[in-house]
Amino acid sequence: MSKLVTLTIDGKQIQVPAGTLVINAAKQAGIEIPSFCYYDGLSLQGACRMCLVEVERVPKLMTACTLPVAEGMVVRTNTPQVIEARKAMLEFLLTNHPLDCPVCDKGGECELQDMAFRYGAGEGRFVEFKYHVPEKQWSPVVYYDAPRCILCYRCVRICDEGLGVNALGVVNRGVRSEIAPNRGDHLECDECGMCIDICPVGALTSGTYRYQTRPWEMSHVGTICTFCADGCKTTLGVRNGIIIRANNRDRSGINDEFLCIKGRFAFDFVHHPERLTRPLIRTLSGFREASWAEAIELVAERFEQARQQGGRIGLIGSTRTTNEENYFLQKLLRQGLGSNHIDHRQSGDLVSLLMATRGREGALATTADLYHASGILILGADLSQQHPLLAFQIRANYRHHRARVYVVTRGPVREDQIAARSLRVAPGQELEALESLRTELQGLPDLVVLYGDSIKGSAVARLVQWCDSLAIAVRYVCLLDDANSRGALDMGLVPDWLPGYRSLDQMNLQPGLCWEEMLESEELEVLWVVGANPLRRRHLKRRPWLVVQELFLTETAQQADVVLPAASAYEKRGTFTSVCGELQQLQPAAQVPGAKTDLEIASLIALQLGLELGPADPDELLGEIHRTVDGYNVDLPLVAAGAAVPTGPYPDVAAVAVRVDKIRSREDTLFTAGSLGQRSQVLTSVREAPGSLYRG
Amino acid sequence: MARKISILQAAAAITKGLGVTLREMLSPAVTEEYPDAPPSFEARYRGRHILRRDENGLEKCVACFLCAAACPVQCIYIEAAENTAEQRFSGSERYAKVYNIDYSRCIFCGYCVEACPTDAIVHGHGFELANYHTSALVMRKEDLLEPWPKQADVALPELERKVS
Ligand code: SF4
Ligand code: SF4
Ligand code: SF4
Ligand code: SF4
Ligand code: SF4
Ligand code: FES
Repeated sequence: MSKLVTLTIDGKQIQVPAGTLVINAAKQAGIEIPSFCYYDGLSLQGACRMCLVEVERVPKLMTACTLPVAEGMVVRTNTPQVIEARKAMLEFLLTNHPLDCPVCDKGGECELQDMAFRYGAGEGRFVEFKYHVPEKQWSPVVYYDAPRCILCYRCVRICDEGLGVNALGVVNRGVRSEIAPNRGDHLECDECGMCIDICPVGALTSGTYRYQTRPWEMSHVGTICTFCADGCKTTLGVRNGIIIRANNRDRSGINDEFLCIKGRFAFDFVHHPERLTRPLIRTLSGFREASWAEAIELVAERFEQARQQGGRIGLIGSTRTTNEENYFLQKLLRQGLGSNHIDHRQSGDLVSLLMATRGREGALATTADLYHASGILILGADLSQQHPLLAFQIRANYRHHRARVYVVTRGPVREDQIAARSLRVAPGQELEALESLRTELQGLPDLVVLYGDSIKGSAVARLVQWCDSLAIAVRYVCLLDDANSRGALDMGLVPDWLPGYRSLDQMNLQPGLCWEEMLESEELEVLWVVGANPLRRRHLKRRPWLVVQELFLTETAQQADVVLPAASAYEKRGTFTSVCGELQQLQPAAQVPGAKTDLEIASLIALQLGLELGPADPDELLGEIHRTVDGYNVDLPLVAAGAAVPTGPYPDVAAVAVRVDKIRSREDTLFTAGSLGQRSQVLTSVREAPGSLYRG
Repeated sequence: MARKISILQAAAAITKGLGVTLREMLSPAVTEEYPDAPPSFEARYRGRHILRRDENGLEKCVACFLCAAACPVQCIYIEAAENTAEQRFSGSERYAKVYNIDYSRCIFCGYCVEACPTDAIVHGHGFELANYHTSALVMRKEDLLEPWPKQADVALPELERKVS
């Protein structure tokens, strides 16, 4: 802890750590100092002069956002001189400002409006014509209206420092100064929209939210992004059951206010016109629409037959269904239908890590650890493309704490910019290359290791062994693909272990078929696919009777005998577990009439089968998971309150033979996300799509 | 003596009273012949709203939602959209794709008119709103828009007041 310094602000005496900026010290004392260009976590700019304060024994007004506190400093923020200065600054900012608030998308949540209202003069004295330039569209999602720009450089800094993209800069001088994109007339970047969000005024606006509504007209639903595994909290603005925008301005999740393009813009798949809204039953001439009752009855009949034949049914689950749904599905299959053929597409080898670190406290890193650890080792993954939030955290750690970052990948990645050392090796050769980093890593107090799908099976054990030999504190992140990939593993949506990584022996089960084997199997009568698309690149060998729960008529659904329209993650309650193991609650935001959640569908089938499986309500199921699944004995009220609660530890990890060749990442880029990504107009319309990994 | 005075006083009083009658007989009548004749209004009478157009016939409303925000009974519903080069509705970038006022809730307070930054919504003098069905009291943009080209029989109130 650094030394405390005593100073006086507006007559209030306060103590803050040395090095604190006056603007933050005032905030602690409950005094607001207006600011535009100052932004927590970004470098200092001192551009807007809005934060001027009077400091005793200093002849001129000082900018509070660049001034560190000093012992005995006396600051005044409410003298006539300061008030006059604020008025003058606002008057200058407004000289060429169009003040077209009625048509400006920022209206109602604009910092300039707030400031002008609170500190402004109320009346302008300039009568000259305002300098005007037309609005520009830089990409499908980013618009720039130069006259509204107050040149606070927030966008420039977030893109450079936060994202590492550095796509924005300032051109021209004086009143003609404006922000310019990296490709002259358009942007080629991550299209994350962080610059739009961070812009205090309506200069940068979103192509999707554009002219849709007003902030106060929406209800704001905090839920979890359904795309990658990082688990960003996203606050969806909803009007009439339709999602209009997403952001996280209240900084309420593990991601602070970060969202990538998928979390911020790609929710539009929810309202895609091709969403399924009626159950479909195959006839000789194609599909016909059916009622839910009829479809469920038909499905239950087939399931019952398969059960009587000794459990000849297989289930391929999803990595975007909730923990509750996965838990209920495996229960239905194992207890209700007597089958252990249950799997999903696994994208990383977590269970080997759990076996190798068994009995250790804190072997798994949380998202926060990525920000605090003094060393980061990235093995075989392009984080900026596949795990944008983790990459953002690591960059923030580097900026604020000078973390030492080591990169071992097959091609150039963006993390090379901040890396102490970068090594290029063929996939699977990462461990061999590590030896050359030994001395450097040994000098660190602690290390977080992130590894991708090229390290699996015995390689994970070897990695842990090697890290043990460093004799420093090491925590691990096993990188996984999708929003609830981690939850699917934890909930035992696999043929090799039960929920909480318990041994199959506890239920007297034999290891079942994995998903690829199910597609080839001669013995399955019924194949049940929930939210997965296994037939995208594969074929069924012998056609079992196929039931598919899906949002769209995917390649798999097209071959089904019954298709049941499912709800997306933005339409349901439940929990996801992020790649770093944080348990977070989903809240239903949108409504798509006709679709049912996978939990509802599964429970209707169970009901029709007459099975007693306990409650099928998300909250009650979470209670059951909390009681029975290792690692999920966490503080549920905290989860319900919207916090991200770390799961673990897993005391009873079963010793299983890992099916190494089945573990494969889909290698999504920033602009791809399986069948959902294909249905997002935004993801498919940006110029950078589809993008590729490892391009630095 | 006393009697003589009182007679004179009575006569004066009657004359005075009849004088008022006579004067009122000669002044113009204020009786409204409604419904046989249209009633007359004060200029600032707050009746059914009119969504105004500018001199080019474009809608003045830019869908800023301020009227809806000001409305104490929340009876204004708006959906905004962007003008395109081919289809231009308002004089600004955005326009109201949907603009509904629910007259089963409107209290004719005039706050919406006060709030409007473009003077797009004003009170007209229409008052015959009674209906057997409340659903018919939800008026759409098409019902409220000032007709174009301007028609003589649609009486617009004086709008020369200055909104401070
Ligand atoms: S940026 Fe703010 S002040 Fe400027 S027009 Fe938009 S809402 Fe109004
Ligand atoms: S969208 Fe993201 S990557 Fe693109 S310019 Fe804005 S901040 Fe930078
Ligand atoms: S575009 Fe917005 S964030 Fe960027 S400098 Fe202008 S006002 Fe600031
Ligand atoms: S980083 Fe992942 S979780 Fe976060 S917004 Fe992007 S896709 Fe969603
Ligand atoms: S007159 Fe009053 S109640 Fe009626 S729409 Fe306007 S603001 Fe609402
Ligand atoms: S906030 Fe201090 S100069 Fe901008």
